[in-house]
Amino acid sequence: MKATIVIKAIVLMTLVVDEISRAYCKHREGKYKGTHWWGIAKAGEPNNLAPMTPGLMLMDSSSLMLLRNKQRRMIREHPGVLQAISKGVNMALQECQHQFRNRRWNCSTKNFLTGKNLFGKIVDRGFRETAFIYAITSAGVTHAVSRACAEGVIETCTCDTTHQRRGPYIQNSVPGVKDWEWGGCSDNIDFGYKFSRMFVDTGERGRSLREKMNLHNNEAGRMHVQSEMKQECKCHGMSGSCTVKTCWMRLPIFRSIGDNLKDRFDGASRVMVGNAGGLRRLRSKDNAQNKHYEQDQQQDQQEQLQDQLTEQQSQQNGGGGGGGGRGRRRGGGRNRYNFQLKPYDPQLKAPGTKDLVYLEPSPGFCDPNPRLGVLGTHGRVCNESSIGLDGCDLMCCSRGHKTHQALVSERCNCTFLWCCEVKCSVCQYRKTVNTCL
Amino acid sequence: MAGGVILENLSGKKLFVLVSSLLFCQLACFLIGGLVAPTPSATDMVLASKCLYNHSNPWSYIRGEGKCFSYQSDIYKDSPVANTMANDIIFTFQIPTPRDGQTLDYSRWQQYLIGVLNFDIEYHIDTKMDRNLELTLDTKLGYRNVGDKDGDWKLFATSVEKRNLDCVSEEKIDGHNYQCGLVPLFELGSLHHDYYLINIKIPVDERNGINFGLGHLKDVWLVVINQNGGFTSVWLYMKTIFFPFIVAIMIWFWNRVHMLARKPVLLERMLMTIGFALTLLNLPVEFLTLSYDMPFMLLLQDIRQGIFYAALLSFWLIFAGEHLMIQDSHQKNLQTYWKHLSAVAVGCISLFVFDICERGAQLKNPFYSIWATNSGTNLALTFIILAAISGGMYFLFLSYMIWKVFCNISARRSALPSMSNARRLHYEGSIYRFKFLMIATLLCAALTVIGFILGQASEGHWKWNETNNLNYASAFLVGVYGMWNIYIFALIVLYSPSHKHWPSEIDVNNSSSDTIEFSRLPTEPTEMSSLASFSRKPAFD
Repeated sequence: MKATIVIKAIVLMTLVVDEISRAYCKHREGKYKGTHWWGIAKAGEPNNLAPMTPGLMLMDSSSLMLLRNKQRRMIREHPGVLQAISKGVNMALQECQHQFRNRRWNCSTKNFLTGKNLFGKIVDRGFRETAFIYAITSAGVTHAVSRACAEGVIETCTCDTTHQRRGPYIQNSVPGVKDWEWGGCSDNIDFGYKFSRMFVDTGERGRSLREKMNLHNNEAGRMHVQSEMKQECKCHGMSGSCTVKTCWMRLPIFRSIGDNLKDRFDGASRVMVGNAGGLRRLRSKDNAQNKHYEQDQQQDQQEQLQDQLTEQQSQQNGGGGGGGGRGRRRGGGRNRYNFQLKPYDPQLKAPGTKDLVYLEPSPGFCDPNPRLGVLGTHGRVCNESSIGLDGCDLMCCSRGHKTHQALVSERCNCTFLWCCEVKCSVCQYRKTVNTCL
Repeated sequence: MAGGVILENLSGKKLFVLVSSLLFCQLACFLIGGLVAPTPSATDMVLASKCLYNHSNPWSYIRGEGKCFSYQSDIYKDSPVANTMANDIIFTFQIPTPRDGQTLDYSRWQQYLIGVLNFDIEYHIDTKMDRNLELTLDTKLGYRNVGDKDGDWKLFATSVEKRNLDCVSEEKIDGHNYQCGLVPLFELGSLHHDYYLINIKIPVDERNGINFGLGHLKDVWLVVINQNGGFTSVWLYMKTIFFPFIVAIMIWFWNRVHMLARKPVLLERMLMTIGFALTLLNLPVEFLTLSYDMPFMLLLQDIRQGIFYAALLSFWLIFAGEHLMIQDSHQKNLQTYWKHLSAVAVGCISLFVFDICERGAQLKNPFYSIWATNSGTNLALTFIILAAISGGMYFLFLSYMIWKVFCNISARRSALPSMSNARRLHYEGSIYRFKFLMIATLLCAALTVIGFILGQASEGHWKWNETNNLNYASAFLVGVYGMWNIYIFALIVLYSPSHKHWPSEIDVNNSSSDTIEFSRLPTEPTEMSSLASFSRKPAFD
């Protein structure tokens, strides 16, 4: 009898401690402002301000409130970039919802003005879904910024000529017109990549495993944009022969990045929960193919120092993006990315640069969970014949579903006409619609 | 050539010094290309801004005062109203794009500008798009210079162009893009102005089927390619250095030939021709483009290269022929080789016609492309196939002749030891002469081919240039250019007539037939090659 009371008391105590510690964590995470920039996806919506001009958007204080100082500075220094980021996040959001349309968690968003975060509280935890959100948004920013560079919307995209700066202009070298004349510019993706690193990763400067996870996933998203670039060439030698051939890299369509990230989501690796000691320093072994990882291993103590240096350096450089390749070569803060996460199951391979990592198993997402901001699957449409996650058994978490017949009219046999008309015939058919109870 | 050339009389040591210094020059060319010059050309990918047409301004531009209103939405709606927008949306490319907050402007060192279009068309399961679509583009190219007002664009060319768009969808997944082939847009032979502006309209006319069936068009990209200024300057300075050397060596050669008592022989004239062709190629007329607008430079460049190749190919053929001919015709000239040379001529002329059709027409209209229409494509293909066939014929002729020369050499070599001293030296010299050229030529050709193949292979790895400090494409181009210069230089030096007397001519104590035949050789006005006379010997016996 006494024993049971003691046990109950202990259980209660542990529960209370657990709750307290969770609350404490939540409190800390409440201050955690690393990802609030996602909110500018909604802040800059064209229905707020009819003609979207960068100047007007800068006035919008509500969106700028979401940003950290460094991010605000970067936006000030690169006019036009806010639009691109907003576009990028929206693109990422749409892609996320597209990729997860058949899953219990369907990448639902909240009104960010009431909630603290665009994707809800799920991002405060270390789930697989969180990993995907980080990766896809980081990829979205990279993609959209590179694209905006190509469109000439951002006039401050760097013209990185470091790898071919050997001309007579080396001596009086301010990177600029002369260098461009001598050897051309780097790809736009270089700026997108660097900008995304500076902008997206600003929040993740702590040493906790959670932040390492975010960094890793952000980096994975960017890597997917970069590795999906396709090469195209044009011959223009004598009489159009291939004695002279020029090649360039083409920015991938965002859908294929989403597809790849979804694949990585399915095969994401769980990494060890533990203190920072769980982080093993890594020699850039499996990053050898990645030019952004040229740097050698550095001591842990130096990292903090380097981070501060980066901060100062980027202030001098004007937002960091403008620093060009030389800052990169000097290694300001890049060793921030030089870590290797330890797999949860030691028998598994350590995650690569393009893999997604997570810390804790995902909840069921079956029932609404306000603490996590999960809506649950009540009322979701499911597919009766599917045995996959969109099948009614799995989607409705064995709660059962209701079926009703509906007359659906859909567009079919469409012809697209530039610009911007689509001519379709309407196909009507009877469809069975299943919804979860 | 019958009197012997320098090559035969050069001591081994001198030859070694000459060859190794030439090889050193070759290495220097390669390193200059690889280490000093940047990549030969630079690209800029520009995404089209969709501008709304402003009827008060003929030009739509995206930067500067008076810039257009951009059309943001690209949502396709099923509206009952006819698509009136197509003529009002203008794909605008204003190049060069700004970088680092600076407004860049093209420099004349960048030589040329090539534009290629790339279409992003989304795949939809229900809709069908033709594999080969005929696009109609209403294009306009304008230019502006530093100091002009922002809106002060001047018309360069305007044209309504037809292009074939070849799109396939491999994955067939909704929402993915078609893989569309590149669409060449324009080629400018001179980059004389500072800023360029391209306005493209894609008009749609359902009744006439204009641009009908173009799928869900999302974006248009323009890739502009220009030569790098750094490459141009390295290239031009190379030419400027080579030019006086080749001219000097030609003058020296011609003087030497004229000092002889006889008229110049065919091979000597061929060497002069090839020297002229190279001088023409070396002449750095590109410097003029820095101050004058010369849109014909691309065409001129092709023609100059073509003349050089024609001269080089003819030289090889005649060189082999001169070491082979067994007939007794006294007057040997180009007509003797008309059959072989016609292959070179046909090839070169067909390429020339093709070039005139393509780049010549581009002088009038930079948007013109012979590949745009089906008949044009057929015509172009005809010329190219003709050139390829004659190229194949040429190589058949050449290998056949070289094979025959080698047959002769090996057949007669067995007879060498039994010959008199003078004759043996003479024929050995001739064989040596031939083999030296063979080795040098094969080496140069092999290096060119290997370099070219390596270049093609390395294109697959786009990080080559960044991980490696050596810039391969430029090293190849500059290296090969230097190599053929050095090759021709060496040929002219080594194959110029020697003024040394045959040591064998002094000790004449040979059989009478030998002496008779041999004494004729140096004075004979015909340029009978020693091998030819050698092979004639059995007739005397």
